Amino acid sequence: MSCPKTKLISAYLDKEMGFGEKTAFETHVQGCNRCSYALEELQSLRAAFANTERHQAPYGFAAKVMARTAELEKKKAPWLVPFFVRFAEAAVLLAVITVGILAGKVLMNSAPAANTTIIASSLSLDMFDATPPGSPGGAYLAMMEVRNEK
Amino acid sequence: MQNSDDFSRIARFKDGDRSSFEEIVLRYQDKIYNLCRHMLGNAHDAEDAAQDVFLKAFQALPKFRPEASLYTWLYRIAINTCIDYKKKPIFESLFGDSGGDERLVHDRASDAPSPEKLYQSKQIDHALRDSLGKLSPKLRAIIILKEIEELSYEEIADTLDISMGTVKSRIARAREELQELMKKFREQNP
Repeated sequence: MSCPKTKLISAYLDKEMGFGEKTAFETHVQGCNRCSYALEELQSLRAAFANTERHQAPYGFAAKVMARTAELEKKKAPWLVPFFVRFAEAAVLLAVITVGILAGKVLMNSAPAANTTIIASSLSLDMFDATPPGSPGGAYLAMMEVRNEK
Repeated sequence: MQNSDDFSRIARFKDGDRSSFEEIVLRYQDKIYNLCRHMLGNAHDAEDAAQDVFLKAFQALPKFRPEASLYTWLYRIAINTCIDYKKKPIFESLFGDSGGDERLVHDRASDAPSPEKLYQSKQIDHALRDSLGKLSPKLRAIIILKEIEELSYEEIADTLDISMGTVKSRIARAREELQELMKKFREQNP
């Protein structure tokens, strides 16, 4: 026949009883074979747990965890860094274009007014000397003139 | 009760100092790994699960309430992770699978007992681990927290978010079932 007080053994063993309860239970165990046996059984179970292996984390465990947290952070905001970079790139491009336009305007305003006569004269062939008579160039030009007249 | 070092680490983490999280990992890695190792029964799964525990903690730490205890919070994540983790048959390797890289704190052989005592001790350990693997995850969790991690009833109640009365009755039931399972194991493996 089982004793209803065997349920208390666990708390007794774990020192989770008040002083009065503990003393009363100890007195009971002395006179109860069932509880006395159950207590011994539980004590041997505790001893088995005390002897069981305790394991430590493998070498490099923390480093692996930290590597995974870094990956996690990257995945968490994949758009954030590229967006920032893209924004910076666009801003630089816009700045370069603006500076270019402004510089062009400044140069246009500061340039002297265009003189068409000077430009036309700079394009004229009159600045070249006539070909000396009897030279191969002169003979060629004379030949071309004759052909054009025809 | 919050450890003051933990309190400062959490505050630093919330301020963006990620190195404080590494300090947390280094401080609790052995406890969490050991818990996962006993919950799952083999080194490989234990390492995976323990890593997952810290990743979950990393993500949830910004919302962590400083009045809670960091280690019971980590234990809670670990227990839930291990309960969810196990979809395949538990305790694949029962006989002295200490895993590739893990380190043992208690190496009984180094105490140099007699061969007979050593054999006896191995048999008991074998019976215990086999029986532990057959317990339901809830009972396994509570008995590991009590016997291996040596938490008080109050800490267990806090970790598992259950009442003290439930802790008491669940521990008693876990021990009872464990004794029965160990008895059966001994009968089957004389």
